[in-house]
Amino acid sequence: MSSPLLVLENISKNFDNEFLLDSINLDLLPGEVHVIIGENGSGKSALMKIVSGLYSRDSGSIRLKGEEIEFESFHAARKGGIFYQHQDNQLFGNLSVAENVFFDRYAREGRLCRYFSRARTELECAELLRYFGIDFNPGMRVNRLGYAERQLLSAVKAYVSGAEVVIFDEPTAAMGEIERNLFFTILEELKERVEGVFYISHRMDEIKRVGDRVTVIHKGRIVSTSRVNEIDKSTLVGMMIEDPHRERYPRLSLHPGGTILEVKGLSSEPILHSVSFSLRKQEILGITGLMGSGRTLLSNCLFGLAQFTGGEILLHGKQVSFNHPLDAMQHGVILVPENRSENGIFPPLNLITNLTIATLPRFLNSLALNELYMRQLTGEYIRRLGIVPGQFKDILRFYSGGNQQKVLLSRSFMCRAGIYIMDEPTRGVDAAAKVDIYNSINDLVGKGASVILISSEIEEILGMCDRVLVLAGGRIACDLPRDEATKEIILDYATSEE
Amino acid sequence: MIVKDASIPYSYEQFVMFAVERTRIIKNFLRENRQVEVHALSSMLNVSEVTIRRDLEKLERDGVLTRTHGGAVLREIEESVQPEPTADVSRDSREIASVALNMIEDGDVIMLTGGDICDCIARRIVERNGITVLTNYIPVATEIARQPSNRVVLLGGDVADDGRSLYGSLSVANLRRFHVNRLFAEVEGIGENLEVSVASHEKAELIEAAMESAEEKIFLCMGENFGRNAFFRLGSLKLADKVITNPSISDEYKQQIFVRNIQLHTSINVFEGRV
Repeated sequence: MSSPLLVLENISKNFDNEFLLDSINLDLLPGEVHVIIGENGSGKSALMKIVSGLYSRDSGSIRLKGEEIEFESFHAARKGGIFYQHQDNQLFGNLSVAENVFFDRYAREGRLCRYFSRARTELECAELLRYFGIDFNPGMRVNRLGYAERQLLSAVKAYVSGAEVVIFDEPTAAMGEIERNLFFTILEELKERVEGVFYISHRMDEIKRVGDRVTVIHKGRIVSTSRVNEIDKSTLVGMMIEDPHRERYPRLSLHPGGTILEVKGLSSEPILHSVSFSLRKQEILGITGLMGSGRTLLSNCLFGLAQFTGGEILLHGKQVSFNHPLDAMQHGVILVPENRSENGIFPPLNLITNLTIATLPRFLNSLALNELYMRQLTGEYIRRLGIVPGQFKDILRFYSGGNQQKVLLSRSFMCRAGIYIMDEPTRGVDAAAKVDIYNSINDLVGKGASVILISSEIEEILGMCDRVLVLAGGRIACDLPRDEATKEIILDYATSEE
Repeated sequence: MIVKDASIPYSYEQFVMFAVERTRIIKNFLRENRQVEVHALSSMLNVSEVTIRRDLEKLERDGVLTRTHGGAVLREIEESVQPEPTADVSRDSREIASVALNMIEDGDVIMLTGGDICDCIARRIVERNGITVLTNYIPVATEIARQPSNRVVLLGGDVADDGRSLYGSLSVANLRRFHVNRLFAEVEGIGENLEVSVASHEKAELIEAAMESAEEKIFLCMGENFGRNAFFRLGSLKLADKVITNPSISDEYKQQIFVRNIQLHTSINVFEGRV
């Protein structure tokens, strides 16, 4: 066996929220595609961010071709030959396809002087795209491309980057079958050009297709590294899980009432395909699935944020169609969105505005807002949820993630809706805030509301929900009552294709 | 009691008086429950829903409440200006009791030890049917005895200094004969390392005996008693399946309890009224 290209030795890093990477040992052999799998939050991306200089490490060493490397920044890593393709895209939306592909290559092309020729860039790009069979116009602005198309473009960018090591972080998460095939063609070609590839994935079927070796990470530790052709799927799933701590989730065993929301054959091409389920009164319905399984799109469809191409939604037995979130709110449906800093809170506004902005009519006193009542009511929420520091005039940008999340939730509680759709309500918050959020959910259902809890944390879904839906590839893979759901079953369905 | 008067036929003069009386009842009811429903008021006061809506409109104009879909919630401007500490304590107990009530199902056999929270639970159990309550606390027993659909068993024993609780070998021996679905034990202190303590050794003895025969063990503790130690050590919080407290519990304790895999319920009460 040849000597490894990249060696990671005893890499450790402490993050807050009881999460850490614990003495990771990993190597990348020349010419191989090394797949890294693990649950959400197991540390795959964090590890790769350390390799690519985005995060610093607490201890341990990284050697590239036998030489110790210590990248101060992402840029330094790029120069050192490591290309990291982010889970979220880092393309420039206002530049053209060609400009993005050659963004950091062409400026330094000339031997004596740096020059840039748009015509030449576009010509080369067109050639490249034709070679891979991708049908983009090189002059098109990138912000007109969809998410999956951008991922594809990033792969092309990796191809021309001239890097020695390329790291892909779930590149195919949102891709359809056609894009995935294109992506794998690029990857095949890429293998010839670069010396090694790390490939983070969730999909079991991809491992066999692209990988040479596979490493399983669980809770910041390496469970095993093995050759792909020596291992089967069930062994891998088995390694990804651990006994869940279900008992710590405060849960009420209420008896859900009649159906209040019914979704029939909801489709939103190309991601969601014929999704049907129902929600009962006082029920906590859990929806889980991997990145790109359509969880967030589903919640947006239910809230009138995204249009769907087929199917219907019945609320209290009557068909409804929400063209706007306001319609949904008037029907008593509230969404607590996933990405709180972008879609939820208003970072530059103060606490009291952030809390009351969805329910201002409540405070209307003839023509003015009753400020005394606003302060009294928000004060009560601040006290109950323990929002700190909790002064009315605090600008929300300076609050911690957990407190921002509590503000976002309080705002939706003030609406007193009948159906709450919560998308990742506990992501990035500490244990104490989690306890508060779970108890709030209990309070909602205890008082007659229903909750759709969307989460990638399977343990949380198992701990809190009455019923679990697993989304895989935009379809409902299974609908399990609480007693029958286990982590193994859920993971098995979530990673299944079709 | 006033409610019964409402159903008596009345003359016009009485009606005018009654409208005033009705608003008074609604105000009191609101102050007690923080929320009302139109149909509940209409059946309680035996008047049409239209009349109730009119009353609520008037009260909203007066600034007493805010109308919501199908009911109203209390506006608490006056209350928040001058908070009464004693009233606040009982409000916390009431809220903890309503979380506990969500854990009680029709037909359960439950044990309530003595204390304010258990007293509040006993008052709310009227909302359930076919409950058998075991208790060593006389106020709980008298409260349940008034409820026609529930039963109470008062454990015998020595009367404690407060004149309301019964302890001793007699109550422990009695307790051993029963099988209990859920035990609600009010504890006075949860200290560092989640060490649980109670006010007296008799009480500890009783709770220990009750835990032997109970399927689900639920500890009730006021938020301010976290970080405090009472007189007698009962053991680790690991003994309990669930803990219920009010939201004034500190973040460190929330975290500790969560990490130790114990269910922590708080009476966070973030949803005003009901759906």
